[in-house]
Amino acid sequence: MKLRLLTGRRYVGAILLWLAAWVVVSGLAVLLGAENVWAWTSWAKVRDVVNLRFYSVLTASAVGAALALAGLALQALLRNPLADPFVLGVSGGASLGIILASLWLTAIAAPAFGFLGALATIGLVYVVAQRRGRLEPYTLLLSGVIINAFYAAAIMLTTALAEPERRGDIAYWMMGSITTFDPQWTMVAIVGGLATAAAVLFAVLAKGFNLVAVGEDTAGALGVRVERLRLVTFVAASLVTGASVALAGPIGFVGLICPHLLRMVLGPDHRRLVPAAFFFGAILLVVADLATRLMEGIGGQTPPVGVLTAMAGGPFFIYLLRTRWRRASETR
Amino acid sequence: MAQGIGNPVAAAAAAAGPYLDVRDLGFAYRQGAPVLEGFSLAVERGHLVCVLGPNGSGKSTLLRIIVGLLAPAKGEVRLAGIPLAAYGRGALARRIAYVPQETLAAVGFTVLETVLMGRSPHTGALGFETARDWYAAREALRLTDVDALADRSLEELSGGERQRVIVARALAQEPDLVLLDEPTAFLDIRHQHAIYGLLRTLVKERNLTVVCVSHDLNLAAAYADRLILVSRGRAAAAGKPDDVIRPEVLSPVYETPVEIRRDDVTGRPYVLPRPPA
Repeated sequence: MKLRLLTGRRYVGAILLWLAAWVVVSGLAVLLGAENVWAWTSWAKVRDVVNLRFYSVLTASAVGAALALAGLALQALLRNPLADPFVLGVSGGASLGIILASLWLTAIAAPAFGFLGALATIGLVYVVAQRRGRLEPYTLLLSGVIINAFYAAAIMLTTALAEPERRGDIAYWMMGSITTFDPQWTMVAIVGGLATAAAVLFAVLAKGFNLVAVGEDTAGALGVRVERLRLVTFVAASLVTGASVALAGPIGFVGLICPHLLRMVLGPDHRRLVPAAFFFGAILLVVADLATRLMEGIGGQTPPVGVLTAMAGGPFFIYLLRTRWRRASETR
Repeated sequence: MAQGIGNPVAAAAAAAGPYLDVRDLGFAYRQGAPVLEGFSLAVERGHLVCVLGPNGSGKSTLLRIIVGLLAPAKGEVRLAGIPLAAYGRGALARRIAYVPQETLAAVGFTVLETVLMGRSPHTGALGFETARDWYAAREALRLTDVDALADRSLEELSGGERQRVIVARALAQEPDLVLLDEPTAFLDIRHQHAIYGLLRTLVKERNLTVVCVSHDLNLAAAYADRLILVSRGRAAAAGKPDDVIRPEVLSPVYETPVEIRRDDVTGRPYVLPRPPA
């Protein structure tokens, strides 16, 4: 029998390996960019650029980890391989809440409204897609499509009603971007802290994720309180999604791409996938953000990272639809 | 509540009564007609009991209440003399295993991983398995004759193989009570008898208690210690196979005339339906 038991030692070993990989990638991302470190002349310049890149790397890590964990948890609990905070409209709900709060309330309230928008959307999608106590996989995705369309319209309306000089900001923020000249260190700390807390929480819930993926009755009979697990997971996923959208705008498909790439290598066991998604989500978005900064060297402008992930995520979604989805819906 | 379970006085009191005691159960799904009404059932420790009855008579609901997935509207279930509600979810999962009727295929888990899931009520917060869990899973695979499939993905298996894997997962749980909802529905006759033979062995050698919902009257009559016949949410008859497998008991419940014969080898009764021509 091939299976290697998951022991505490292997678990810690895997986490240390991931940590090392993240450190290496982050280090490279600080050194690389439109301008090369070795081409710089003054120390002041080096300090400024490294500071900015350090900020980008930490932001990308926090947001990437948060979104990958949210995607993984939603896929497990909704039992749908195509669930993702962006696809289901959860990021859209967070965006709407944040825009409303920052336009007509105070900017400090924005993350809280992001969380509320995200949580309300998960609740809505969950209720809409349910039929006779079961989640219909197609209905779930379709309700995501409709909810996204609704939010897009609401955001356009809000933008139209906003003062003209704010419109450009909103439009750019909606593209989802990491690299900025206006660092928000407190928000980075909040998102990073929440993502880490979610990783610890999901690591404890991972056993339950596995059982729910197999069947809710089975999970219940094996001692999982399914309703409570679902509530806790939805709230945690909403928190990290809302906070990460407040920091970097809606960045799509990270929550879809990360868990699936990891499943291809590690298999379906959430006890392995949770720590992996935390680190790999961070690494993936650091690399994507680095790519946008390298493009600056070519075009003179830094494209928003959300555009890049969406352009990669769209085809990936179609690929999953043609492979994993078919298998998942046939065996139901 | 945990103190009560380990309490020697409670244990002694429990030893006097039946191991599984279902009293005056009432249940209805939302906005529906009652599924169970005034249902009572007593199962002795170390018995294999088959629950029989027509479609929609409330058999599956009964199992889901006993395993704690549904809360009864009326009545009470006691396990070893203690009300089900007094057990924690985890404590219950270490005592009762449940093999549901339809098993959704997993999302790429192997047979061995699936069977190891039966150990989850026994593992710690992060769910790491020990050598003890590994041993229990391998033993369960061997007993259900699926150890050759250990590394295969669950989706690749036939319905019958998958069913045996789910039974193996229940055994890996090392419960005192196993509830099975039509475990032989997809199996050929060899594996039907293999499953019931295995249940018999476990009852005899490990003092396991088994409650099994079945549509197959003859398999049930051949293997069970006791039969219980459910009709419209009530227990229509209960007792040894000879007391239940009788035309005057079965015909009204199934609304079809039956003829009862006896197996010369085992001495057990069997049923031949004789629908009016």
